Amino acid sequence: MKFNFFHLMPWCEANEPDQEWPVSNRNFIPEKGTELYRDYIDTMVYAEECGFDWVGCNEHHFSPYGLMSNCNLIGAILVNRTKSVRIAMCGNLVPLLNPIRVAEEYAMLDVMSGGRLIAGFMRGIPHEYVAYNIPPDESWERLAEAFELIVKCWTEPEPFGWEGKYYQYRAVSIWPRPYQKPYPQVLMSASNPDSARFAAERRAIMGMVMLPDLDTARESIRVYKETARANGWEPGPEHILIGAHTLVCDRFEDAKRYLGDGLEYFYNVLAGGPRTAQRLVVQKTRYFQDPALQARSAARRGVLKTTPIEERIEKGMILCGTPEMVVDQLKRMKDALGHGVMNINMKIGNIPNDVVRRSMTLWGERVVPHVHNL
Amino acid sequence: MSFALETVALADGGLPCHVGGNGDPLLCLHSAGGVRISPALERLAQSRRLVMPVFPGFDGTARRPGLKTMADLAELAAQVIDRAIGRPCDVIGHSFGGWVAAWLAVRHPDKVEQLVLHAPAGFRPEGVGGLVGDAATLRRLMFAHPENLPAEQKPAEMQAQNRATVHHYHGETATDRDLAARLEDIKALTLILHGTKDGVIPIASPRLLKERIRRSHLVYVYDAAHGIDVDQPPRFTRLVGDFLARGEAFIVNHTETGAA
Repeated sequence: MKFNFFHLMPWCEANEPDQEWPVSNRNFIPEKGTELYRDYIDTMVYAEECGFDWVGCNEHHFSPYGLMSNCNLIGAILVNRTKSVRIAMCGNLVPLLNPIRVAEEYAMLDVMSGGRLIAGFMRGIPHEYVAYNIPPDESWERLAEAFELIVKCWTEPEPFGWEGKYYQYRAVSIWPRPYQKPYPQVLMSASNPDSARFAAERRAIMGMVMLPDLDTARESIRVYKETARANGWEPGPEHILIGAHTLVCDRFEDAKRYLGDGLEYFYNVLAGGPRTAQRLVVQKTRYFQDPALQARSAARRGVLKTTPIEERIEKGMILCGTPEMVVDQLKRMKDALGHGVMNINMKIGNIPNDVVRRSMTLWGERVVPHVHNL
Repeated sequence: MSFALETVALADGGLPCHVGGNGDPLLCLHSAGGVRISPALERLAQSRRLVMPVFPGFDGTARRPGLKTMADLAELAAQVIDRAIGRPCDVIGHSFGGWVAAWLAVRHPDKVEQLVLHAPAGFRPEGVGGLVGDAATLRRLMFAHPENLPAEQKPAEMQAQNRATVHHYHGETATDRDLAARLEDIKALTLILHGTKDGVIPIASPRLLKERIRRSHLVYVYDAAHGIDVDQPPRFTRLVGDFLARGEAFIVNHTETGAA
């Protein structure tokens, strides 16, 4: 089992649940921002010491939900300050960006790191489309075309042009080319059957985070494997990434309290503004092509927000407790889903950074030795 | 846009040619299916005069005893330039016609100004791809959007004759090694077009052409198969029209009205 230490870089100085979109930045404190970036980056670097195999970045816009509007900037720092962990870019939100730029920056990260890049091709959660003024209706088509174009950027031996629906370039030849051959391992979100199918068709690692329950995950994995076989390849556990909000403490009561408070802050304060935009996007566009998925997504958000913490643990939605408890929870989850990669997010909402650090230390000393060979 | 079927007088007899459009001449060399004037070509004819010879043996015409190879057809095309156009011109060839066009550019560099190789045949390393399978399979390999195809006008007998004629000229050859060895002789600025879903021509083919033709541009047309003009008409006319009109500068983005 491999483990990805994932960080959202949340802004934790907001106190009022804010439902407006975009979330006003009038109260942003630059000095506090400097301090947070320093601390968050140190934390991500520390993950290597704590036995994590990957360190994960991501991209979000226009809210305190996350301060990583360009995750490649953070990735570049991590490349420089770590030695062996893989750098998992669980962004870039490809349909919002210039695909040539994504190809170039990923190639830079891959070369600078000596081939440690995991290249995320994310569609992005709905509100991001409002931020960058891209029609959400076009999200799938843009992602599909950009994927092919970026792979061409990485693999073509000679300069080439591209005449597509959304992207047109007459002469492309990126420098550098990626370090990994034929190109870096790709990671895609696969939290519903449509996206699972899409990822399998492209031989990407499927990623599912914030699970409402294990049955939902099982269904996506089934569709992913079925599609992969139809496309002539057999996925292994290393192609399936499952995410969980995680906190390890010396005492279960502390883990439960800190994670409970952090989740409440996450859902009620940080996620308020994005949720408003998300509702608009989902209601007014074809972000979800299948109306059933729209309903499922809404139900999932409700479940994630309201389920009591004990029930979340029981259902395999989160990892929470002492190191021994978390080892058991991980084993149960592995038995249930057969995955080979876990996305571990410990900085949930406003959980204090020293608590996160302690959780990481416990993870390295008392969890990893029991689960690495799962 | 209407096309007239004219007869061009060549050294050893007349050759039927479809001619239509306005502007500088553009010699169009047809694919294995014979002459097919797609809406995209009609659109191109708004700014170019298209001259489309029918190679002997295609579309109900008779073969000629002296014409046996793709290089022979290139010689015939050179005569068409001399007799029907009267000066060097731009050339576009699709698939089978792209193969002929490449020979023409190799043997008569003085007659070809700019060259467009639209999914050219003749460069399939290890024989991958090609026109294989039944009609339904071929249709899938050739078109990503077969719904764009106009109703077939050619009788089944003529289609069968066209297929047989293709073999008359190149047999089972997948890669024309003689031509591949001489691609560096092509002097014309060349645009190589390849559809991202082409099931007939493998990816190694445009890469080989791009590597060997010194002044060339390779452009992938997204969501198009072998018949790019059928699958993606606006992309095809935009690319080809822009390349023919602007030459080297076609890589520079510009607006119709120019800078303020």
